[in-house]
Amino acid sequence: MAELPVPLPSATMAAVEKRRPAASTASFADSGRPSVSRAAAAAESEEDFLRQVGVTEMLRAALLKVLEARPEEPIAFLAHYFENMGLRSPTNGGAGEPPGQLLLQQQRLGRALWHLRLAHHSQRTAFNNNVSVAYDCLSASGRRKRPGLDGRTYSELLRRLCRDSAAPEEALAPLLRKIECREHEAVPLGVFRAGMLACFVLLEFVAQAGALFRLLENPALAVADRRVGQPLLNTLEGALSAGDGRPRARALTWRPVRAWGPTSLALAMDRAAAGRRPSSPMTRDEFLEKAAALFIAKVKPVS
Amino acid sequence: MLSPERLALPDYEYLAQRHVLTYMEDAVCQLLENREDISQYGIARFFTEYFNSVCQGTHILFREFSFIQATPHNRASFLRAFWRCFRTVGKNGDLLTMKEYHCLLQLLCPDFPLELTQKAARIVLMDDAMDCLMSFSDFLFAFQIQFYYSEFLDSVAAIYQDLLSGKSPNTVIVPTSSSGQHRQRPALGEASMLEGVEASLFCQCLENLCDRHKYSCPPPALVKEILSSVQRLTFYGFLVALSKHHGINQALGALPDKGDLMHDPAMDEELERLLVQVPGLVNSVTATPEASCLPSRTPSRVGSPWRPLHHSRKVDAESDGSTEETDESET
Repeated sequence: MAELPVPLPSATMAAVEKRRPAASTASFADSGRPSVSRAAAAAESEEDFLRQVGVTEMLRAALLKVLEARPEEPIAFLAHYFENMGLRSPTNGGAGEPPGQLLLQQQRLGRALWHLRLAHHSQRTAFNNNVSVAYDCLSASGRRKRPGLDGRTYSELLRRLCRDSAAPEEALAPLLRKIECREHEAVPLGVFRAGMLACFVLLEFVAQAGALFRLLENPALAVADRRVGQPLLNTLEGALSAGDGRPRARALTWRPVRAWGPTSLALAMDRAAAGRRPSSPMTRDEFLEKAAALFIAKVKPVS
Repeated sequence: MLSPERLALPDYEYLAQRHVLTYMEDAVCQLLENREDISQYGIARFFTEYFNSVCQGTHILFREFSFIQATPHNRASFLRAFWRCFRTVGKNGDLLTMKEYHCLLQLLCPDFPLELTQKAARIVLMDDAMDCLMSFSDFLFAFQIQFYYSEFLDSVAAIYQDLLSGKSPNTVIVPTSSSGQHRQRPALGEASMLEGVEASLFCQCLENLCDRHKYSCPPPALVKEILSSVQRLTFYGFLVALSKHHGINQALGALPDKGDLMHDPAMDEELERLLVQVPGLVNSVTATPEASCLPSRTPSRVGSPWRPLHHSRKVDAESDGSTEETDESET
């Protein structure tokens, strides 16, 4: 995996070398210095310059990340990538004073989150790589003697992940309770990875369930009829227990809809509409909470 | 959310399709030219600004022509920049000549080739003399087609000429073409009194062209739509139809519909902001729109204050060898 893209940056550099001489001649001529021999020397040294200041290495790493994540918009991805890098580089934020311990911790968390979100969890190799990188940057705090990630940082990261999503807090809280570790417990990479994966899959599951709810919801009241919502939840549960145990949020959520079929969905809605008395409504938060609970029941707790 | 096609491509193809290496390479060139800035701001920040400007489409301002035409995104960005900067010309209802439009183009791209402007003007003027006046929107939409689909139109012109002289165009461009074209010859001989070529045959040839063309083409369905509405047409008739087709404009995505070209209050604000950053342009455009057609000073100096993009020196040195570079980065 690491071998394939390696020639690329050097190909880039080679192309740069081809283009450079003309431009550098111009800039030297402009500043009124003897040009020809200087330009040749400059072309030679440009590659060294790029290597010395770390551009070569930086671009190689960036390109690897692009290839790993295969983003739809690679240029925006790169802008974001370098922006994040700039935020954490020591040359940027006041070189004089070292930032406080708390700030350092926040920066590390931000970095880890950013790595975790680089690739979708269905791209398993890329996701696993990013999880390892995130794990390393969280555990590499200079103060402690032996490297490792403690339960507190791990829980904090999980909470940040959940906080940034649109899902209601109550829906996600049971997962946190289930996979959180004790504050001073050391978290091995395996547990960390499983926890991150469970969290990402749940977030997507809840997002998908939210989309389902929007289909059912009465737009004026922002509620759905319980007589439609409850059978759908039951179908979701059926699909989850029929699953082979591997977390695949998208397939899981939409399968029940297909199983139900448009006819039975229409029938249920029709029954709901025909009922004289309106049945008790179900809000989005309640629906999502129940859907999430179904999923969380399948997650193995941290032993 | 996930496009399987993108994920299944080999690395090189994925990078080439999105021109990632073109921009990385250019970023390094820019960085080498602005070494002083790096020591001050840091490399990561330099790259952040570079890639952000690529996303926003401001990266093409005052750059050399070879770069401006290097990718479809650069071309669309240039069209957008041209429209944004000189919309006031259209708003005032001024009519300008081809040479004057060329001056405007050179304000944004100092080595913009006159040939391209001439070709665009010919779409508007057809048989009229080249020094006739054109409205901003007529020129803009014709220019858009000519600039964005330049290579495609060159191939179309070759096909058209072959059809006109009764040759089977496919034998010229693809040597392994089928022999089904022979029966067309007598028909063409008869029709040579009429103007232009037969639309259905032309359409067939263009469909083949779209299939194998490596540069951007207009959406084949829309090309077909244009050609199926007429019996015969001339080359410039075809180009006019392309430039006036709002579906093609939408597919290209650089400019708004013709009706929305002039009124856009948000854009007016944006324009103000943009012009403030470019001191060389402020006087000539906002104060007196007519003045924009007489930049007698060398246009290459106009844009120099733009921070990460100042490029005038490089342009002077490289302007002649520029086309080969583009070909490299396209592949």
